[in-house]
Amino acid sequence: MPGFIAKRRKIIFVVILFTILFWLVTIQVKNGRFVFLERPILAVSGFFERMITGTYRSIESTVNRYVWLVKTERENEELKQQNDTLKLEHAILNELLNENERLREALRFKQLNPLSSVAAPVIGKNMSPISATLTINKGTDQGIRKDMAVITADGVVGRIHSVLAGSSKVMLLTDPGSTLAVRVQRNREEGLLEGKLVNCALKYVSYYADIQKGDILVTSGLDGIFPKGLPVAVVVKVTKREANAFQIVVAEPVVRFSRIEETLVLIK
Amino acid sequence: MKAGVYFILFLLLVPLQASLLNPLSIAGIKPDLTLVLLYIIGLLISPLEAAFLGIGTGLLLDIGSASLLGVSGFTRGLLGIAASLLGRKVLDITSPSNGIFLAVFSLAEGLLLMFFLSLFYGTLPVVSLLVSHILPQAVYTGMLGVVLLRFMATKDILALLKRRTVQKEF
Repeated sequence: MPGFIAKRRKIIFVVILFTILFWLVTIQVKNGRFVFLERPILAVSGFFERMITGTYRSIESTVNRYVWLVKTERENEELKQQNDTLKLEHAILNELLNENERLREALRFKQLNPLSSVAAPVIGKNMSPISATLTINKGTDQGIRKDMAVITADGVVGRIHSVLAGSSKVMLLTDPGSTLAVRVQRNREEGLLEGKLVNCALKYVSYYADIQKGDILVTSGLDGIFPKGLPVAVVVKVTKREANAFQIVVAEPVVRFSRIEETLVLIK
Repeated sequence: MKAGVYFILFLLLVPLQASLLNPLSIAGIKPDLTLVLLYIIGLLISPLEAAFLGIGTGLLLDIGSASLLGVSGFTRGLLGIAASLLGRKVLDITSPSNGIFLAVFSLAEGLLLMFFLSLFYGTLPVVSLLVSHILPQAVYTGMLGVVLLRFMATKDILALLKRRTVQKEF
């Protein structure tokens, strides 16, 4: 027997290691996620993410501003010769229109949410295939704390999962660990929205509740994280089974996570 | 090459995966660079080393994301062993067939992760995830693997890795 173990000690060691990993995962399901070496790892990865994204954005911006603007400038010169007065008038009107739009948007946000917010650019997305997260370029230095709400002009993005001095990790609505108290905008039915990676599931909605495809889900404010009334998701599928006390409701987030470049963190 | 060097390499790869590959993403799908490198290095090292490397990489991914600590460690460890065992059978590691193996690895990992998540978080839209995320990512990862292997072969990086790697018996 000792000879058998000695011969296969490496295999036994690996099997024990995998068993420990599996056990580690199962106890986290019960007791919540362990925080282990999170700060140093995130500090290193956050530093490189900022560096890489910063470099990439500066190159992109340089190309856009100079190469593209040279072409535009040439066209502008031609246009100016043809219609100087009209172009100027148009530019001024456009500027005023854009300014008006921006002010309206800001006012709408301020009315919806009296709390102050911090604008945070996205510097990284989805590091793991089993979790939906993104990294933003703001952290404790800007007053961001764990569990703060993260939104865009379209609606809810998620909440702060972990935070460092200069960057934070945001857990998206679609992450399997994400839950959010919501209500149907049309009839105020309440439920709990859980992340399912590609979409979300609205849980604990009674069999008799009136939920329809196309219904908009908004934050209920009951979780103490998100202010009431922010758009969260749109119902895409409703299934009722007589054996179940609850309906199976599938919803898709209103925010397109693959296109996010800027977010707003609501400071409590 | 020592395991520590590989670990540092993967520590740098995690942010690369999160930020540099964003411009390469198609409809939100990005190739898995860390899996590609685990596969390539796994082909060249012993199963035990590959298991450690896989577990280490997976744990880094778990720590850097919001997932349960150990899930990716478990799956990446298994994939590391599989890559190392495959490395003993593969005659030409620059062959494009590695792209297919890599796609299969990515697919297997996706399915294994879905199994774990369903076990811990309840039902998931597996078919939808498979069609919209796991399969496209597997294909994309396989393609990136072929390109990277070709690049590493032309720049003699693979030869360098082979020379520095001492094959140990499991």
